[in-house]
Amino acid sequence: MRTLIVMTSFALSCAADLALAQHNHGAPAAGTRPADAAPAPGGRPGGGRPSGMREWTRQPLLLGRPVKDDRAAALITARGLTAGGITVYAADGPAEARKREFAIDAEGARIEAVAPKTGNYHWVLAREESPELVKVASTAWYFGNPGDGPTDMLATPKHELEIVPSPLPREHRSYREAEKWKFLVRYHGQALAGQALAMETEFGSRTQAVTDANGIATLVFPRDFKQPPKGDGESEDPRARGRFVLVTEKEDGGKRYLTAFNYSYTQDPERSRSLGWGAAFGILGMVAATPLLRRRQQAQGDKDHA
Amino acid sequence: MLETLFPTLSRVRFVVQLAMLFLTVYGSVVVGTYAADKITGALPALSCAYDQANGAYCVLVPTQHQVHHRIGMAMVQAQQLTTQMVLPLLMVLLTFFAFFFVIGKAFCGWVCPLGTLQEWVGKIGRRFGFGVRRFEKGDLGEVKRIRPVKWVVLLGFVFLLPLLTGLGVTPHSLGNPYCDICPSRIATTLLTGNTEELALRINDGWKFGLGATANVLIGFMLVGGLALRLPFCRICPLLAFNSVFQRLSPMRLSKPTRASCGSCHICTDACPMDIPEISSAEGRKAYNEDCTLCGRCVEYCPQDKVIELKWGPLALFGSSRAYYKAKVARELPDGTVKPLKFVRNAAKPATADA
Ligand code: SF4
Ligand code: SF4
Ligand code: SF4
Repeated sequence: MRTLIVMTSFALSCAADLALAQHNHGAPAAGTRPADAAPAPGGRPGGGRPSGMREWTRQPLLLGRPVKDDRAAALITARGLTAGGITVYAADGPAEARKREFAIDAEGARIEAVAPKTGNYHWVLAREESPELVKVASTAWYFGNPGDGPTDMLATPKHELEIVPSPLPREHRSYREAEKWKFLVRYHGQALAGQALAMETEFGSRTQAVTDANGIATLVFPRDFKQPPKGDGESEDPRARGRFVLVTEKEDGGKRYLTAFNYSYTQDPERSRSLGWGAAFGILGMVAATPLLRRRQQAQGDKDHA
Repeated sequence: MLETLFPTLSRVRFVVQLAMLFLTVYGSVVVGTYAADKITGALPALSCAYDQANGAYCVLVPTQHQVHHRIGMAMVQAQQLTTQMVLPLLMVLLTFFAFFFVIGKAFCGWVCPLGTLQEWVGKIGRRFGFGVRRFEKGDLGEVKRIRPVKWVVLLGFVFLLPLLTGLGVTPHSLGNPYCDICPSRIATTLLTGNTEELALRINDGWKFGLGATANVLIGFMLVGGLALRLPFCRICPLLAFNSVFQRLSPMRLSKPTRASCGSCHICTDACPMDIPEISSAEGRKAYNEDCTLCGRCVEYCPQDKVIELKWGPLALFGSSRAYYKAKVARELPDGTVKPLKFVRNAAKPATADA
């Protein structure tokens, strides 16, 4: 028995070591997902909608779209602020490539994953500065390839007033209608308590939350999703995305800081699911199994005692 | 001290299963929120990727995904099958094997959350005095009859349908059909308080049908499991998948030829998978494709050193008469323990009494 216990502990620690080893090499599966569990990982701030969309907010935004045939690149455009370039932070890769600048041209800025094989979340921001005002637009972009999770990247302060998703949706998830999510507001790297954080969505909802003592604001995503208009014979797309933006402002030393974080959210999956049907089939399975319970112990008991 | 805390192999296993259930269902609190931080994306156990709080993903997800997208879809574009397309799938298998090598099929008997849940349902059944039903002649029929089902599920739902979908033959909704019928998806998400996976998709006929199958399976497992031990494991594609590699891990069940085996069949009675070979056969054949390396047969073999759990040359645990005597006094081979009092009162006098 002692050998077994020792071996069990040994086996478990081996498994943990192996786990780390394979993680460092980037698990191939990190780029995979239970197809359809959720739409392609959140990094579609553009929401897959036509770029000629109507204005739904005056807040600064960073809108992105994937580059055809290049999974390690994306095209980002800035709205509502004038910035010469885009700054991209990666969670992984060589130290000198963790923060990179990309110039904006007429098309926008073509940003790239830190290395072709190192994807995951990248933090994207643009900045406009004058003596009175610092305006920052930020978003996150998910490159499908494996790479480190964004925990440390998010924890690193990047500029004065920041909105930090805590956490970002996991790779197989998205922000969704009717869900509660937390955001940290930071000023010069310190959590900011009692700070107002406003939310606007593409579908016209406006809501606000105030940060608690730890600088965390909890926002409920409004149940306002509207499916894009369908063409003839097209069915509803459960993966369609809508946009939202969070904004916070602060005055300090005669200077105003305005920071926005925009991203996408999806509709409440319950809209296309039925718990009633689910339960009905569950019960059907239970009923189907009841004949197994009928024969009680007698014959069996005799046998076991034999 | 260790012996007091862990008097039996079953107790060691119970504690490990409890820890693994926590890690596989709620493990994100330990390993971090993001999927990239998970222990692995190719675990040889049904640790479900749909559970947002888990600590690892099961290997069947990336397998279906690679077969669907990297092989099926890429073949359509390139009109041929190249090494480039198969490479990601090989990477998945390699990652899987890095884990599998360590404890082999004990991933089923010791780690898999769905295996653990089924076992606990069975324990409840024994406590409530439901008689054990078996796959054997005279009850549910020979176990050999159900064994091929898991291979059909593996080949059909994990490989063939995703491939045909990638090739454009079957509709897109059949891209990861095994996940759609997998009861672990429902069980583990329900354990995190999420009813989304229990709810059926109503805007897609295929998804509705496959999802309904999963719900029937979980319902069947919860009630049927009270009498039939490990009902789902018997048709689980991961059991088949793991058994392909079972001889490649040093972890194994060993029953060399020993004259002292009197073929009393107690080990088969104790086996939750109703494996007759463990008592009737010896050598290689005794370690059957259905074995989950739970070790119950070793605990219940009344002969010294006839059955052993081994890792390479190292004997981790071997059968012994003294151990058997102590064990059988607590619990009968089929898991029967003293039923709860009110169950005993209600039952007929002939009810087994351990
Ligand atoms: S649904 Fe089943 S097969 Fe799919 S990831 Fe979850 S546990 Fe694995
Ligand atoms: S056979 Fe049972 S224990 Fe093994 S993976 Fe399948 S459900 Fe889990
Ligand atoms: S043969 Fe032994 S170790 Fe394998 S499943 Fe049966 S009882 Fe468990």
